[in-house]
Amino acid sequence: MALHLEIITPEGKVYSESSDSVFIPTTEGEIDVLPGHIPLVTLVEPGELRSERQGQVEHLAVDKGFVQVLGDKVSVLTEQAINVEEIDLNAIEEARVRAENALREAREKGEDPAVVEEAETILRFTMAQRLAKERRR
Amino acid sequence: MANLRDIKRRIKSVKNTAQITKAMQLVAASKMKRAQNSALESRPYTQLMAEILIAIEERAAESDQKGISHPYLEGREVQNRGILLITPDKGLCGPLTANLFRLVAQIPHGEASYVSIGRKGSQFLSRTQRSVLAEFSLSDRARFSEIRPPVELLLEAYAKREIDTIEVLYTRFKNTLQQEAMRKPVVPIVNLADMVREVFGDEDYTAEAPLGDDRREMLFEPDPQSLLNNLMDLAVRRSIYQSALEAKASEHSARMVAMKTATDNANSLVEDLTLQYNKARQAAITQEILEIAAATASSQES
Repeated sequence: MALHLEIITPEGKVYSESSDSVFIPTTEGEIDVLPGHIPLVTLVEPGELRSERQGQVEHLAVDKGFVQVLGDKVSVLTEQAINVEEIDLNAIEEARVRAENALREAREKGEDPAVVEEAETILRFTMAQRLAKERRR
Repeated sequence: MANLRDIKRRIKSVKNTAQITKAMQLVAASKMKRAQNSALESRPYTQLMAEILIAIEERAAESDQKGISHPYLEGREVQNRGILLITPDKGLCGPLTANLFRLVAQIPHGEASYVSIGRKGSQFLSRTQRSVLAEFSLSDRARFSEIRPPVELLLEAYAKREIDTIEVLYTRFKNTLQQEAMRKPVVPIVNLADMVREVFGDEDYTAEAPLGDDRREMLFEPDPQSLLNNLMDLAVRRSIYQSALEAKASEHSARMVAMKTATDNANSLVEDLTLQYNKARQAAITQEILEIAAATASSQES
């Protein structure tokens, strides 16, 4: 019996594979989901998500969101997700600096909340990606 | 028999029209592709969000916890509906706007306030003198942040009890040839499961692995109420955003099809006219030969 892990973002279903155990960062702490887990709904924290299948571990960085465990299906609903292998630390650092500047500017000018929120989202996800990447090394 | 030059002029003008509609068809086709993709790609997300919401609502009530409450879950006596009407900015997209307006016309006057996205809808509402709270526009790219102002406005009006429901009137995208105008209730959430079924049909984008009938008690962390607070606002926004994406996809598809039909019609008209032109030309030539022959014959006789 195996779990089925799917990660869904606004850009579509980005990940859908079977898995032996899924390690998820939640607001209540990190949890490890194994087959036969009790049905669960909880909040996902930005950070690193790991999926283990036959000894192979896949590392993904996820943004904040929700997770539902029902039956043997683990559905992660998040704003963004990326495979750690694909993360480019330099690009992230640049994006982070840009977002920080944008955020500071927007706050100083008192711009509309949409802009602030967008910058915050980028900032949050870049942090999560860096965290996940650095752990991997 | 019509004048040769008249027919020729008509052929030319019909050909010109065909060229224009062909160009519009190509433009619509490329926009359609992108709009369809973004609508379809975001369906699983919207649907899973609704499913989680259903899980919280149903299971939390079941599992004898303190019970959950949220302003969006409480139905009220409906006196004034809040309706978000999503229409295209431009016409030339077949029966799409007319279908939407038919739905608007079914809602009695004075029982609803409207927020309109798209110029066509705004014009219709002011022409029929319905109460309009605000008008917005949406670019073809349809970004999530663009949908925020109208939603904020509706939610605020709902909180102040100026309106008792929030409903979206939009065109659901089925496929390139089929779009369906529909009214989707968003707030209050009375029967979410039915709503999801209605909006997404039987296509289940998330059910790749069978769910199984897992009726064990569900665990909510930290607790159902705070999960609900976190999820509700996002879910409402998302649901409305999805409608906007669907509306855009429908608009471009309908326009592409309408323009294709127009081009085809123009081309077949050109064919008919060309036939008519050739016939007339032949008749004219025959006539001329006859005249010459007659003239020769009479001059030889004398």
